[in-house]
Amino acid sequence: MNIKQYQQIRVVIVIFIGIIVSIGVVKNSLVLAFLAVITGMLFLILVRSKTKITIDEREKTIREKAANITYAIFAPTIGIGTFLLLIPSRSGLAVFSKGEFIYLESLGMIFAYLTLFLISLYAISYYFYNRKFGGANEK
Amino acid sequence: MKNKLKVFRAMHDLTQEQLAEKMEVSRQTIIAIESNKYLPSLGLAFKLSKLFKIKIEEVFQDEN
Repeated sequence: MNIKQYQQIRVVIVIFIGIIVSIGVVKNSLVLAFLAVITGMLFLILVRSKTKITIDEREKTIREKAANITYAIFAPTIGIGTFLLLIPSRSGLAVFSKGEFIYLESLGMIFAYLTLFLISLYAISYYFYNRKFGGANEK
Repeated sequence: MKNKLKVFRAMHDLTQEQLAEKMEVSRQTIIAIESNKYLPSLGLAFKLSKLFKIKIEEVFQDEN
């Protein structure tokens, strides 16, 4: 199976999952939606294993750069977002401790942990790849 | 960095598709190298020079 056939089959599978999930949501059947997603994933894995996919070095470079820029944009954005969500609840104003604003602090905390997780993941993967590519001052 | 990949490919009567297949890369990569939009890795540069039976510096030249 070549890459074009794989892409066509993938589109068919995704449409199939979409339809079944929609039916599941309309009929209020989460089991149906869940089964559709699991079946679709299994089919995608099966089809992918039968396909000879060449991921060449240019593609890898593009992925690296895309991941790098995504991190460079997403990390500060979510960090600043966290800050903006936590500031009102810490300001001491009564308006932020009741009504719909009460959730801002919780949301801010979730974002804060998400930011920490993202940065930790980056640091761990950086450390791992730095060692892998000989940046650990090995003799 | 400029290269003469297109010239050597034509000399060996290869299409971009055929060269891509031999190098185990995509056709887009060959197009990108030929149009100087992508600098290949050392491994790929060696493979190309080996295929054309020439030195790397004959295919890839530093403009400075």
